[in-house]
Amino acid sequence: MTEARDPATFKKYISSLKPIWCPGCGDYAVLTSLAKAFAELELATENTAVITGIGCSSRLPGYLNTYGFNSIHGRAIPIASGLKISRPELNVAVAGGDGDMFAIGGGHMAHVVRRNIDMTLIVMDNNIYGLTKGQASPTTPLGTKTATTAYGSISAPINTLKVMLGYNCSFMAQTSSVDPAHLTNTIVSAMKHKGFSCVNVLSPCVTYRGNEQYQLIKSNTVYLDEKHNPADDVEAWRLISGATGKYLMGLIYKNDRPTYQDKLAELRTSAVAGKAEFKIEDEAQMFRA
Amino acid sequence: MNTNDIVIGMVGSGGDGVVAVGDILATVAASEGLNCLQLKSFGPQIRGGESSCIIRVSGQQVNSQGSVLNVLVAFNWNDFTKFPGELNVADGVMVICDENNFPEKLPFPEGVKTGEIFKIPFDKLVRESQNPKAKNIIALGLITEIFNLPAGGLKKSIERKFGRKKPEILESNIRAIDIGINYAKDNKLKSGLQFQYNKGPAKLVATGNDALAYGALTAGCRFFASYPITPASEIMEWMGKELPKFGGTMVQAEDEISAVCMVTGASFGGVKAMTATSGPGVSLKIEAIGLGTIAELPYVVVNVQRGGPATGIPTKAEQADLMQAVYGMHGDAPHAVLAATDVEDCFDVAIQAFNTAEAYQMPVIILSDQFIGHRKETVDKFDTKKFKIIDRDTPKKPTKESYKRFVDTDTGVSPMSYPGIKGGEYICSGIEHNEDGHPVSNHIIHEQMSAKRARKLDHLAKNYPFIRIYGSSNPDVGIITWGSTKGVVKEAVMLAEKEGLKVGACIPQLIYPLQADKINDFITSCKKIMVVEMSHSGQFAKYLSSYSKMPEKFIHFKTSGAMFFAPDDVLKELKRGL
Repeated sequence: MTEARDPATFKKYISSLKPIWCPGCGDYAVLTSLAKAFAELELATENTAVITGIGCSSRLPGYLNTYGFNSIHGRAIPIASGLKISRPELNVAVAGGDGDMFAIGGGHMAHVVRRNIDMTLIVMDNNIYGLTKGQASPTTPLGTKTATTAYGSISAPINTLKVMLGYNCSFMAQTSSVDPAHLTNTIVSAMKHKGFSCVNVLSPCVTYRGNEQYQLIKSNTVYLDEKHNPADDVEAWRLISGATGKYLMGLIYKNDRPTYQDKLAELRTSAVAGKAEFKIEDEAQMFRA
Repeated sequence: MNTNDIVIGMVGSGGDGVVAVGDILATVAASEGLNCLQLKSFGPQIRGGESSCIIRVSGQQVNSQGSVLNVLVAFNWNDFTKFPGELNVADGVMVICDENNFPEKLPFPEGVKTGEIFKIPFDKLVRESQNPKAKNIIALGLITEIFNLPAGGLKKSIERKFGRKKPEILESNIRAIDIGINYAKDNKLKSGLQFQYNKGPAKLVATGNDALAYGALTAGCRFFASYPITPASEIMEWMGKELPKFGGTMVQAEDEISAVCMVTGASFGGVKAMTATSGPGVSLKIEAIGLGTIAELPYVVVNVQRGGPATGIPTKAEQADLMQAVYGMHGDAPHAVLAATDVEDCFDVAIQAFNTAEAYQMPVIILSDQFIGHRKETVDKFDTKKFKIIDRDTPKKPTKESYKRFVDTDTGVSPMSYPGIKGGEYICSGIEHNEDGHPVSNHIIHEQMSAKRARKLDHLAKNYPFIRIYGSSNPDVGIITWGSTKGVVKEAVMLAEKEGLKVGACIPQLIYPLQADKINDFITSCKKIMVVEMSHSGQFAKYLSSYSKMPEKFIHFKTSGAMFFAPDDVLKELKRGL
């Protein structure tokens, strides 16, 4: 494990491009932790793809040496789904911000969870639109003044963890950029999970949310320990409803069930119905009068 | 009089089974080696609304549904009035209808002199059949006897249609066919028109949507994602049944955007992929298609056009999504648009679309429409070996240091790596990028890469092998049309030539980029140009004017969709413009 976290090992996953992120941005830690997780899992760069949409965090693939796709706003999940379903042997990670994943792309979330496609989603949640310079996002707290909420936000923020639990996400954890070791460990377990895994990363935006957000994430956390049973959805709901008054850190909920690929294998078995081989030209038979 | 070409129209309410009759007749025709074209048209109701069906059975090549009906079977006169411009009756039309509820005046256009009118005691005959739903099959028996249509395969086709239902349903339908035939015999119902033909080798029967799906499978498509939409859903249903047999996958996506994005992901992964929709779906997908052009991803988007905009007329065809297909994307977004003209062509165009997408690494839009998507036609065969299957160019042993995903080339096409290829790792992006794929925002690179991508279209327009040219050379009138109006135009050209007129037609398959050289050659060879299209605003004529030597004055036969052009209509307009 220590070897994987040695820069000499994980740096091979990081490209020579200089990130456009601001100094102090939480996303740097996500980039490093992701590289460390890839190193620990010994992923081959050619068999790994990181798919993103649009936003500060969605610039991530450019800074990695794996295959990457920096696509359009809100669509990383269906693009990654198409890739993983058609190339199941690949390691696929999806990343994006709170706006990309829960505003413009929010409609896809229920469906990727329901399909349980075996890939890992990393949400870099900073409660703001950073790339477009400081507008309110779906997780911006009530009353917050931003570029588009001059008198304070009047729309309640989404509790994204409750959304994901409601959809019955098969692996759901929270971590933060402020604790890189925990961040790396969480990404590693998420990627090892068979099924759709969601890692919500509290990733501060020092430019538009200031040092205050950074301090809040650093100080106001509670780590889930072995006493927490991640199979208990009722307890998970209680915790993410604010029972502790603090940011939860760790694996909140886990529900092992067949993946899309498992179900697809069953479907193909029914379709083939024991026949050894199908020929394209024989398909014309179905049009016989 | 003997004929080998007959057009039957049927109209009734849902449950009357007019489409089932069309299906059975199409199967009979195909098994006898005849040609058949069957159009279906519906109201918007899920069940119980009006439905109509036109079936042309012929010993000759069938290009269209014809101009007028030889016989109209009207189960319900109220329903008949809901299909203006579709069920065209003319002098001499035979009418078969119920003896009950016969109107004082038939709802036909002023001045039409009908032929025989046979009023049938359907209630009594239905009771005899012991099947309350057998009215349609009794009518089928009647027209078979009246016109001497092939009766040989009739019972087999009925077995095929009803064989999976309860045995008493099949038996009563077999009884019904005999009741119809015997009623016509006993009452000496005969038409002056008697069908005569020579039996030939059996043919296939397919709809345009099924043929298109089969073409895609043949081209190597192994991933398909779509969202249900009329009139395209059958493509998705076919793919869902057949792709898994070939190790492929059909995904019913949560929305149109997701569908095209899944296809985007599969294409990035090196897998041939397609999505199918109608106009409203393309509106939603268009941002992602733009991504496909700058990210240089090969895949196919099918638009089975319907009447628009918005919900428009979902159950009927129109050719008014042309501008959307060509110009819908923001930015300079090079891609190709191909158009299918009939059922067999749906198969061919699907293969050509994949080949074009793979050769040039860009999204290709296929424009079909409800007219060909939903209609059934007989086809001699689907030739899976007709075209060489093209696969995208991939880098040979790339290295991280040397491989440039978007290297600028003479054709604009760069070898495309995909996950799994070591040393070919790259960042695919919708952000403007340099040859390495790294994001840039400067004018010089944007100009260079825009030129690189646009170059593909120059190459494609020059090298696309195919364009349809029919009729006389150096014609007095040259008709230019596209898509599903081909059949009607082709038949109009044949009719015109019979009348001694010199008429030709030019019908491109590659719509964008336009093969300007070939089209200009055609235009300059004609004394006069006529454009035929199903678009109220005349999108195709405007489009032609911006890319070819279209004269300022031309005959323009244009109308909005939801109406079937007839060959006679085209000919009439042509003569008016002479």
